[in-house]
Amino acid sequence: MSFLEKAVNAGSTALFLQRNYEIVRQLLAKGLADKGFILEPLSKAVEREWVRKLLWTALPQREIGLSGAFMYVPPGVSLRAPVSMCFVVSEGAQEVHNVLVVGEGSELVVTSTCTSAGAGAMHGGYTEIFLERGAKLDYVMIHSWTEKTQVIAETGVVVGEGASFNDVYISLKSPRALRESTRIAVRRGGSALASTLYLAGSGSSTLETVVTLEGEGASAEVVSKVVTTSGSIVSQPITIEARAPNAKGHVECRGLQLSPDSVLETIPALRSTRSGAYLTHEAAIGKISEEELAYLMTKGFNAEEATNMLVRGFLELGLKSIPEPLKPQISSILDLMARFATG
Amino acid sequence: MLLKVEGVSIEVDGRKVVQGVSVEVDRGEIHVLLGPNGSGKTTLLRAIMGLPGYNVIEGRIVFEGRTLNGLEPYERARLGIALMHQNPRPLDVKLSHLAREISKKYGSSLDMMRDFALDSLMEREAFKGFSGGEAKKAELALTILQRPKLAMLDEPDSGVDLESLKLVGRTINKLAEGGAGVLLVTHTGAVIEYLRKVTAAHVIVRGRIVMSGDVETLLEAVKRKGYEALARGGLL
Repeated sequence: MSFLEKAVNAGSTALFLQRNYEIVRQLLAKGLADKGFILEPLSKAVEREWVRKLLWTALPQREIGLSGAFMYVPPGVSLRAPVSMCFVVSEGAQEVHNVLVVGEGSELVVTSTCTSAGAGAMHGGYTEIFLERGAKLDYVMIHSWTEKTQVIAETGVVVGEGASFNDVYISLKSPRALRESTRIAVRRGGSALASTLYLAGSGSSTLETVVTLEGEGASAEVVSKVVTTSGSIVSQPITIEARAPNAKGHVECRGLQLSPDSVLETIPALRSTRSGAYLTHEAAIGKISEEELAYLMTKGFNAEEATNMLVRGFLELGLKSIPEPLKPQISSILDLMARFATG
Repeated sequence: MLLKVEGVSIEVDGRKVVQGVSVEVDRGEIHVLLGPNGSGKTTLLRAIMGLPGYNVIEGRIVFEGRTLNGLEPYERARLGIALMHQNPRPLDVKLSHLAREISKKYGSSLDMMRDFALDSLMEREAFKGFSGGEAKKAELALTILQRPKLAMLDEPDSGVDLESLKLVGRTINKLAEGGAGVLLVTHTGAVIEYLRKVTAAHVIVRGRIVMSGDVETLLEAVKRKGYEALARGGLL
């Protein structure tokens, strides 16, 4: 048994690693398999009719193959250690379609890491997530790209009755061009929290989030924090739409421009088609405050250290809920982002 | 001598706010600066700290024998000078992270934050939505985390409740007993009764030190005559 297999078994968790179109590792703790937990290539999962029927029901259909992962968490399973999925493109284009189904009352944390290396030119990631009644999922996407890569990332989520979805999207290094779109439908009594932390380098990025509050008492909060540097062109359209009474939603979009040579556009939109919903938004774009810099310098931080701290703080404050096991990792990522932001 | 301010004049936005001020603070001493609003107390502390916009146009500031003129605020902080700001503006940084980074830089213990009962504020943006008393305690605790040789405290006693006032007093006493020099600006003088020993007090009016001496005597005179009358006619 390899070290990884031992770790996966000991942590009672699962791992899926794909490079280009090759599945490099696919590990599932024995205890989980015995409970009916499934982690396997989508191409195999579609042998089940119910899985075939599920495809492209949370996202608009795309004409791509069956590369990617399928995960099914049976009802009543609670995992402590995060399940890890990782996708690397190192040659040409990679298109993956992932499907996650979390059964009634189950709770888990999933990390999805996507990155490019070498001659990786294009990554298309399409992920559909289904949370059944009362399920709870922390879904943490961590992306880091080379400047040569072009990225399309689409995520469609159905949050079932009373279910809870915590989506964290962190991008350390942006690609040449990115179109990221997250669509979340929240059913009765369900809740969604979607947080984006995006460090934009040179290149264009669109970060779109659309949440529909479909059921009575559904709620959502969308927080987007974008830092632009030289040559960044970023647009962040965010919409919450309420279609049911007592639905509640809030949008917060904030941008920090570190370079005058960047373009940042935030477009928060609220739409209600039923009375009795309560929707709010706030948006702001600014630069590093001279007063805050001066304050930190009186505490002994030079200009670079103070800027780092303010960038890190700006990003960190966008994270309203971090899964406990990932706190140290995310803290290190925030340190890195602050360093990258200030060169 | 720890700090020597020698005939310093300070200009802010092209206006001379402090004129020809001299003051000396040694290790373990507590000096109190008294004066009405806008008399130049805060300006003097900020200029000693080297904050941008507070230009020393005459005289010099010497710390442990080294002239500070021209040094950046962070360089002065690293020499051992700390400024407790009067009203720190809210920062885009969690108080916990700020405290951690300061304690790492100066090798101090974060226990201070617990001692000041700041636990419940640690995961919030520093100073955002803090009450007046919370902001004072947090800023004082951060100042102590710097393990200063010279602590310049700008009105630590304004807007704080009685319990916090005692804590501020105890903290200043501890600083001085530990060998730090303290330059304390107070508008109301409320904290003074909690200080064990004040070395000297100085009254600043319209940018000039008009009187120096024993703190009780000066406070009594201020209460009796007011700052302007003191500036015009002395103690009598």
